[in-house]
Amino acid sequence: MPSAIAIEGVRKTFGEKVAVEGLDLTIPEGRLTGLIGPNGAGKTTSIRMIMSILFPDSGRLEVLGRRSALESKDRIGYLPEERGVYKKMKVWGFLQHMAALKGIKPDEARTRIGHWLEKVQLPDVGPKKCEELSKGMQQKIQFIASVIHEPDLLILDEPFSGLDPVNMRLLRELIREQHDRGTTVIFSTHVMHQAEQVCDHIVMIHQGQKVLDDSIASIRAGHEPTAIVFEPLDPQASIEPLERVEGVQGVAQVEGIYEAALAHGANGGEVMRRMLDAIPLARVELRRPTLEDVFIEIVSGGTGDAALRAELRGGSGNSETVEAGA
Amino acid sequence: MNKLMKIAVREFSSTVLTKGFIIGAIVIPAIIAAAMPLVIRLIQKAEEAAPIVDGTLAVIDRTGGDLTGGDLTGPIGERLSHEDGSVFEPGGIDPETIDPEDPMSAIGQVTGARSTINLEVLDSATDVESERDAMREAYREGMTGERLGLAVIPEGSVLGDGEGEFPQVEFYHRRKLDDRVIGKMRAAVTRTIRDARFEAANLDRDRIDAISDVSTQTQEISETGEAEDSKAAAGIIVPVAMLLLLIVSVMTGGQYLLTTTVEEKNSRVVEVLLSAVSPMELMFGKILGQMGVGLALLVMYSGVTIIVASVFGLASGLVTPELITGLIVFFLIAYVTMASLLAAIGAAVNELREAQSLMTPVMMTLMIPYFLIFPISRDPNSTLALVLSYLPPVSPFVMVIRLGSTQPPPLWQTASAAVVGAIGAYAAVWFAAKVFRIGLLQFGKAPDFKTLVRWVKMA
Repeated sequence: MPSAIAIEGVRKTFGEKVAVEGLDLTIPEGRLTGLIGPNGAGKTTSIRMIMSILFPDSGRLEVLGRRSALESKDRIGYLPEERGVYKKMKVWGFLQHMAALKGIKPDEARTRIGHWLEKVQLPDVGPKKCEELSKGMQQKIQFIASVIHEPDLLILDEPFSGLDPVNMRLLRELIREQHDRGTTVIFSTHVMHQAEQVCDHIVMIHQGQKVLDDSIASIRAGHEPTAIVFEPLDPQASIEPLERVEGVQGVAQVEGIYEAALAHGANGGEVMRRMLDAIPLARVELRRPTLEDVFIEIVSGGTGDAALRAELRGGSGNSETVEAGA
Repeated sequence: MNKLMKIAVREFSSTVLTKGFIIGAIVIPAIIAAAMPLVIRLIQKAEEAAPIVDGTLAVIDRTGGDLTGGDLTGPIGERLSHEDGSVFEPGGIDPETIDPEDPMSAIGQVTGARSTINLEVLDSATDVESERDAMREAYREGMTGERLGLAVIPEGSVLGDGEGEFPQVEFYHRRKLDDRVIGKMRAAVTRTIRDARFEAANLDRDRIDAISDVSTQTQEISETGEAEDSKAAAGIIVPVAMLLLLIVSVMTGGQYLLTTTVEEKNSRVVEVLLSAVSPMELMFGKILGQMGVGLALLVMYSGVTIIVASVFGLASGLVTPELITGLIVFFLIAYVTMASLLAAIGAAVNELREAQSLMTPVMMTLMIPYFLIFPISRDPNSTLALVLSYLPPVSPFVMVIRLGSTQPPPLWQTASAAVVGAIGAYAAVWFAAKVFRIGLLQFGKAPDFKTLVRWVKMA
């Protein structure tokens, strides 16, 4: 299968800081790929280099068979992370301008804009000024701008950020639809379960380097469970004894669910039995590894880091580490 | 190329089709242009009519009746009440000038011309010090005071000191008095003395007036050999007009370019644009679009200027095809240079406010020719003018002053200055292209010049 994107040994620095280091990446045509990693991992820098907005210090880059995305911009759709619209421009005018820049004729653009506004459930916003729209609406308008020319390659940088669940689902469907049309789609996110819900292939970036490049199914198959989910029989009971159970590396409450991190190489079944011995539990099960578990295992060498985990779940205030004896 | 044009068209129309632009660049200048004749008329009117004041002019005459006609106070008083125009017209009605359709104008004549200054004759032995003190006291108390002026005519003012020299007349007036009122009072005194001197020397005043008045009719010979009324006064107007037209058109486009670039960067729309066009297409598209704005203003304003000039009969001979060609060529050079720098600044900063410090050198470029306009236009081939003609980015501004002056530079100088200016414009574009590309996606600390230079090296 010909590759939509081929990157070899790309390196990019900003002054002292190395943003991307020795990145190799091949994305075949038609694949729906999630580019994941925590904030500051180098996702946006990589995407900007793919878009030829930034240029690598060294390495080789090929986009849609060309040496630079500049040569095939009309075939690429791009939704940048930093989103903006012409505030004073009407939605119609903005989309027409963007369509024109992508080489769509005015008549054709008009039809497509009408069609797309219906599709994103904003049929009446055409004559409004962009600044009158909410952030979420503006984001949908921008998504239209990125797909209006039916691109062969669609790159979305954090497309879900700032959307409510309803619009998140809508966008997920629209991305799927583009994928079904045969478009190669790459989207980045720091919220890993979003990637899990949409993509079939994952590329993980950490500290400027690629740490994982595999399909979701084989990622799951290849990784041992790393956590045990449990629920104390008495919600008031102290879970402190569990901290001392052999094979448990730490106990945390994330989004209301108790999790015990498994020590590297520990036998899940054994540990569960020992936990039941320590305190009475209403429920205890081995959790299948999620992307974030895999990611944390990769970056932390299996030590289990609750703070990093919280960030990757997209939340910040809704997790807490349960202190011993709490 | 096609995308570049689309960027340019949007840039142009989104600038021109705003209320701010239409009001600022078209409506207000149009109102000013339309109001100009009215304002000039009002100024002329105001020149004629001095404010109405009532009071006295005190005169100490120490000539002691040198003349056959007695002392000087009589003729001075007569002058104050009769001569020298409207200010001192006695409050009467002149039947000749009353408009029969408008009887109210007669009232206007009566009330409007009521300014009266009476003569106050002081004894020749009066102490000047105490009189001045009295005036000061009166002024301090009521800000007004009866007495407006005090003239002390020393002995020998009419006959001289015997060696052909005449002493000075002391003249005092109250503070905050209209200069025309002062002028009339002084004139009443000095003219009376002058007439007295003529009389004393047995000279006929009318005869002397006729002899001293050498009237001329100044004309200039044009290229066609015809004699026309002299336009020498326009010699300074043309270079000033040229420079102002250039500055206004270059800086209007340039300022808009700066603003829209900062806005695009600040609203983050720029990255969306960069997914469709290259940074260079974006920059040149924007520069081209605003060039259209500047050029439109240049054509519009110079068109109005030429029309106004021809109304006053000044256009022919002064506005030549060479001048217009020069203005357009140097506009393009100046605009590309300044616009590139402003685009770079706009791309580098996060907010318009931060642009101020980086703008200083750009503004200096405009201030130099502005301050030097008189020395350059008076002596357009001086070393100063010559050096500045070859010094981008000032050169195009200096060149339009020189082109508009009475001694335009030789063609080879104009051409070579244009070449040097174009090289300067190219350098500015080169610099801007690098800063623009890097600056657009850099957010955070406001950059200084060192940062910009580092970016240029980086790119």
